[in-house]
Amino acid sequence: MNSKLLAGIVITTILTILAIDDIVGDWSTIDGSFENLYVFFTQDLFPPDWSILSPEPNKQCNSEIGFFCSQAWKGISETLQMAFIATVLGFVISLPIASLAANNLYPLPIAMSARVVLAGLRSLPSIIWALIFTIAIGFGPFSGVLAMTLYTIGYLGKLQYEAIEGIANEPLEASMAMGLTKSERFLFVVIPESSNNLISQSLFMFEYNVRHGTVLGLVGAGGIGQYIDTNLKFFIYDKAMAFLIVIFVVVVMIDILSMVIRSYVTDESDFKRPKWWTVLLPSDAAMSIHKKSLEEE
Amino acid sequence: MKQQSSDLETRSSDSASDMEPIIQLRNLNIGYTKSLVKDITAEIYPGDRIAIIGPSGIGKTTLLRTIAGLIAPVSGEIDNDCVGRGQIGYIPQKLGLVRHSSARNNVMLGARTRKSRLHLPFFGLGEVLNKEVDNILQKLGISEISDEPVRILSGGQQRRVAIARALIQKPKLIVADEFLGELDLDNIDSIIEILEAQLSEINATLVMVEHQEDIARSIATRIWRIVDNQIIEEVI
Repeated sequence: MNSKLLAGIVITTILTILAIDDIVGDWSTIDGSFENLYVFFTQDLFPPDWSILSPEPNKQCNSEIGFFCSQAWKGISETLQMAFIATVLGFVISLPIASLAANNLYPLPIAMSARVVLAGLRSLPSIIWALIFTIAIGFGPFSGVLAMTLYTIGYLGKLQYEAIEGIANEPLEASMAMGLTKSERFLFVVIPESSNNLISQSLFMFEYNVRHGTVLGLVGAGGIGQYIDTNLKFFIYDKAMAFLIVIFVVVVMIDILSMVIRSYVTDESDFKRPKWWTVLLPSDAAMSIHKKSLEEE
Repeated sequence: MKQQSSDLETRSSDSASDMEPIIQLRNLNIGYTKSLVKDITAEIYPGDRIAIIGPSGIGKTTLLRTIAGLIAPVSGEIDNDCVGRGQIGYIPQKLGLVRHSSARNNVMLGARTRKSRLHLPFFGLGEVLNKEVDNILQKLGISEISDEPVRILSGGQQRRVAIARALIQKPKLIVADEFLGELDLDNIDSIIEILEAQLSEINATLVMVEHQEDIARSIATRIWRIVDNQIIEEVI
């Protein structure tokens, strides 16, 4: 092995061990923690309390399906709505700012100013924005939506301007030589050329907002997190665990849905996938299955 | 610019007496950080078909991009009459098409330059221009694939789309950089035939870079060869 590489690995390892030791300080505090964790998992968290999937007692249920009157449905549907609104609003607001931030469309001073705005919005995590909005507006999902929207603008805007800067230069140059206006260039060249990335990033952002929407409830900004927060405060861990499992299932479902949709917006999507589950495969593998199915036909 | 023949001087001076040049290059040095081609003084007249030839990396594309107004010269002056909206049709080496848009939408992008800058992008082009788009797609033999995204078209079809986009502008000047690429001879002949007919119809000037000299000579009325950082105009 290269001696410089070896020295680098040794130094990094020593620094990591020193940093861990500094942070932990008194190692005796870790004694018994694994036993505590085991007891917490087996006695408090499991088995989860699935009553959260049944209609809430003492409340009128107008739906024939009881699940739609349950806390789990109310919480997760509110979180999904919050994430959806924040993603749509964030996308609409961030796109024009991202176009200003792209240095292949605008000169550096304009691009830098737009980037500072996006960085400012991104530098505070959505939970801090949620704290600010719950103080300013009050508890509830609206504060959560505003918090997520602001963070989405900052985060999605960065992804968008990077996607815009990544498009081929020749279509832009051709449109400049032709004398198209900036708005025409943006609408008819930049958006189509970066559309796959823009769609893919928005789906990722929706997933991200759903996951973070669950946390915002902890500061009173609505969604399923608020139910988790209430249960944690009253030490009802088995119910909190059931909510966490619901979130996990929903996130996995959104992830699969997102993969399905994204498989249609990549350059490899020009071939038709013969089976829906091939979207879960890398494009090469899906393509070989597609070719086999064509040969069989 | 050096000239190889007195015939050429006569032809150029005839042109000058008939009409005003649309582009005048005066003591032009072109390049990026240092000059690739030096001391260019030339005039381009309406209807000229100029082919710029020379070995790779000698500055052909740089000269073309300078004429198209995409880069500034290192020094010297360019008087360019073709500076308004839609006055230049540009066909870069890689064609510069919007790969994720349909062939029709790419051609409509060229047609859009015939509308005013104030024509809002959300509004359509109108019946007349839409018909012109249909006509040009038909003339270039790409009407059947006009709704397909450009990225899935063959090289020859993409080249036809790029030419249609430039021609629909009815530009004063078409600037084309090795736009015939690595097409087979049949495709080249058919594209040249269509291009020549259309250029005559709209009376546009063509300035092109072409690495295949025989093709350049079959299209061009003037040949500019770049040798030792200088342009030499050759007799056709």
